[in-house]
Amino acid sequence: MSNPTDVVVVGAGPAGLAAAATLGRHGARVTVVDEQQRPGGQIYRQPPTGHTRTGRRTEAGRALLAEAAAAPHLDWLPDTVAWGVFGTRAGLDDYAGPAPAPGRLRLGVHTPDGGRTLEPAALVLTAGAYDLPVPFPGWTLPGVLTAGGVQTFLKAQGLLPGRRFVLAGGHPLLLVVAAQLVAAGAHVVEVAFSQHLRTLLPGPRDLAAAVGNAAKLAEGAAALRHLRRARVPVRFGTVIRAAHGDPELDGVVLSRVDAAGLPVPGTERTVACDVLALGYGFVPSTELARQAGCAVAWRPAEGGWIVDHDDWMRTSVPGISVAGELTGVAGAEQAEVEGRLAAYGTLQTLGLLDADRAAALARPVRRILARRRRFAAAVLSRFAPDPAALNALVTDDTVLCRCEEVTAGDIRRALCDHPHLGTANAVKLLTRAGMGLCQGRSCQPAVCRLIAEQTGRSPEQIGAFTAQPPVKPVPLASLAAAARQHDDQG
Amino acid sequence: MAHYDTAVIGGGLLGCAIAWHLARAGTRVLIVEKDQVNRHASGQNAGSLHFQLEFRMVEHGDDAARLAARALPLHLDAQRTWAGLEAALGAPCGVALRGGLMLAETPAEVAALDRKAALEREYGLDVQVLGGPQLRELAPYLADTVRAAGHLPGEGKANPRLVTPAFAHAALRHGAELRTGHRVTALHRDGGRWRLSTGDGRSDTADTVVLAAGVWTAELAAMADVRLPVFPVGLTMSATARTAPLLPHLIQHVGRRLSMKQTAEGNVLLGGGWPAKLVTRHGRTDLDRNPELRYESLTGNADAARVVPAVMRLPIIRSWSGMTTLTPDQLPLLGPVPRRPGLHVATGGSAFTLGPTYARLLASTLLGDRPDLPLDDYSPARFGALNFV
Ligand SMILES: Cc1cc2nc3c(=O)[nH]c(=O)nc-3n(C[C@H](O)[C@H](O)[C@H](O)COP(=O)(O)OP(=O)(O)OC[C@H]3O[C@@H](n4cnc5c(N)ncnc54)[C@H](O)[C@@H]3O)c2cc1C
Ligand SMILES: Cc1cc2nc3c(=O)[nH]c(=O)nc-3n(C[C@H](O)[C@H](O)[C@H](O)COP(=O)(O)OP(=O)(O)OC[C@H]3O[C@@H](n4cnc5c(N)ncnc54)[C@H](O)[C@@H]3O)c2cc1C
Repeated sequence: MSNPTDVVVVGAGPAGLAAAATLGRHGARVTVVDEQQRPGGQIYRQPPTGHTRTGRRTEAGRALLAEAAAAPHLDWLPDTVAWGVFGTRAGLDDYAGPAPAPGRLRLGVHTPDGGRTLEPAALVLTAGAYDLPVPFPGWTLPGVLTAGGVQTFLKAQGLLPGRRFVLAGGHPLLLVVAAQLVAAGAHVVEVAFSQHLRTLLPGPRDLAAAVGNAAKLAEGAAALRHLRRARVPVRFGTVIRAAHGDPELDGVVLSRVDAAGLPVPGTERTVACDVLALGYGFVPSTELARQAGCAVAWRPAEGGWIVDHDDWMRTSVPGISVAGELTGVAGAEQAEVEGRLAAYGTLQTLGLLDADRAAALARPVRRILARRRRFAAAVLSRFAPDPAALNALVTDDTVLCRCEEVTAGDIRRALCDHPHLGTANAVKLLTRAGMGLCQGRSCQPAVCRLIAEQTGRSPEQIGAFTAQPPVKPVPLASLAAAARQHDDQG
Repeated sequence: MAHYDTAVIGGGLLGCAIAWHLARAGTRVLIVEKDQVNRHASGQNAGSLHFQLEFRMVEHGDDAARLAARALPLHLDAQRTWAGLEAALGAPCGVALRGGLMLAETPAEVAALDRKAALEREYGLDVQVLGGPQLRELAPYLADTVRAAGHLPGEGKANPRLVTPAFAHAALRHGAELRTGHRVTALHRDGGRWRLSTGDGRSDTADTVVLAAGVWTAELAAMADVRLPVFPVGLTMSATARTAPLLPHLIQHVGRRLSMKQTAEGNVLLGGGWPAKLVTRHGRTDLDRNPELRYESLTGNADAARVVPAVMRLPIIRSWSGMTTLTPDQLPLLGPVPRRPGLHVATGGSAFTLGPTYARLLASTLLGDRPDLPLDDYSPARFGALNFV
């Protein structure tokens, strides 16, 4: 099916909104697809239509949403899942030319009205990131949530998902969410931060990088002050060891860790709570890009596998650009700037912007980006979780793949029985870890860490679960309807 | 460097099963696998144990069907072999033989079903064409559009995740050697033996060599200066989320591409020959890249599933592609390669369903026994005029 769309932007977070608005302003016909009901992505999340808004959106978010709403040539497809990109891999020879012909890329989408395709000349993928799941005994109990999930409750519905909260993890978002919870009237019993405070204090290099990024640092510092004022204990060098309760969470075990981040035996203590919010960082949502064939790179400090790109944000697949968290987790401001850059690159590919003008428009954007990247490299990287420390939280009985109920012990045994196996895909095939409804999102990092520990192989050798369409579950009936639609049109 | 009685190239179902038979008989066997055991077709397939003729065998008219039917003796053997396989290997393989149904929805399809069943009965395969209340009672889950079905009680499924590793384990237990992550890059005669080299500079010798290299078989044969008429095809599979048991049988369709079954875990698997696009690079097929999934295949396969309405509400959670080998006459390619003493090949056909049978027959040839089924119809010699110098 053909339609008059030049570019499809997947994701309406800061990266997608900035890309779409910039593209539209320069004359490209844009369709924005997002599985959420309303634009905004994770950080500028708006409540669903019909609900009253309770969260507070930042100035930047408001401005960006307004800019996108005002941009010409923009078509919105809310409640729509982009599940597969077709026509990019076979016949790589065909891609010798610089510009993809219109209709070359085919995007399968599942809309509330059923399945269909969009066939743009270019795609900008801005699918964002999701919370890094961290398994430990009891992590699958009801009441164990991610910090991002708790925040979503707050932002989207103005709801507190419990009464007594413990927050544990190693990402600065933990402090922000804890402060938001306190502000919303929740009882935060404790914030357990896995790193030791001294490893978090900025060095001279970081201070240089922080110039121009003061707002970001200030956010964390303000959150910490807020918590201190509310007398919420924030303990550094402390990790979650277990969650208890039947059928629901009623308490957690915390313990101290040594300088290497490994638990110190004998320091365990139990804290009563009904919600545990975990915040260890984010994993870029690379699955659609990987499914399309875009090359990826392993960048542990930026969330793991990220999508490779050139300095116009173009991936290895002609016609496909990326922006935001799937190029490395670095926050909303960087996502927005990358979105604009991806737009300038795409506009050149489409012939809507000449190289000189694009370079001129990109110059201020690149300056901001360079500053953001320095900051991300120097400061955010020290929050990257250490694989050995995360593995130390896992016992043999700990379920890694909750969909298929595969434990760490199952995977260790499979690797012992089959010493000739050592890739993520091989372990998936053998154990079913990653074969469930979440399509491996919740277990892949932990499974790969375990394979690395057991086999001594590198993350590059172990790889990721192959990303296949549909990258999100799609009802069989929707796919079948799409087949009939194609038949009807010959 | 080491010397073996037999070197088996390929760690798929065929390679591992052949090695098991040979090792069990006390010979010295090496399996060389360029990736990991079960990494390719043997681990990617639908796991159907279909002993009726498949859609692809009957879709091109009666003459083609008659030709394809020459593999039916293997189907009959395979039916017996699978029933005893788990006991023989001492390992679970997910074998469940609860019957298979080949569906027909139009009068023309019903007629095709009748002709097919008649042909199968000639070979001793007891396929009954059911319709009306008898069919509804056996398979109440079928859509009203289904008029008749060819029923074979011994059909079913096995678990491709388990079968080949089980063969590999059994072979290792009997002393076979397995070398994974090593690609055979050269194969030639050297003083009455075969010498095979792997990329790392290592080379070994063997009295006999079995090419069980799936879609790479032609590439390996070419190293021995033999052209084999085998072609790679890309195929598509999809899986739904798990659900409560709803589909006890193997489902196929006589008039279109469809295979459907429910795994022990509860996922419904869809397949049946929907193509995936082979990747080409510089104008040539690149067998080292997985074929590209086609939108039309995913949606077409989903549409074909309408014969079981209850599955339509389930979410598809993943799909994948794989490659398998076809021959020009759709029959297996099994046996000694003419004018290459000691070189054997096993590929082509439905080599999951028929794989254990191919392996047993080829192993008995290698061990110098007379195979208990005639293999002439499947022998590489049938392409002799064309291919062997
Ligand atoms: C749960 C969570 C909470 C966060 N909280 C904070 C915070 O408090 N402060 C802070 O500074 N940063 C926070 N971050 C980080 C911040 O949200 C990101 O830096 C920023 O939103 C990244 O923007 P983005 O455009 O790359 O992606 P996102 O904002 O994540 O937007 C991606 C969008 O793509 C859509 N999408 C993804 N895949 C598909 C698909 N296949 N089909 C259709 N649509 C799709 C998603 O629905 C989403 O709307 C949070 C992140 C997460 C995941
Ligand atoms: C999607 C799909 C669905 C299918 N469904 C069915 C079905 O339902 N029923 C059925 O009967 N059949 C089915 N098949 C076919 C069946 O899977 C194959 O016929 C069977 O698995 C072939 O086994 P094999 O051992 O010959 O090949 P493979 O499993 O491909 O093994 C060959 C091995 O050789 C190795 N190799 C190749 N070259 C070299 C080299 N130079 N050096 C070392 N190693 C090498 C490869 O790495 C590979 O592991 C299906 C196939 C596919 C792809």
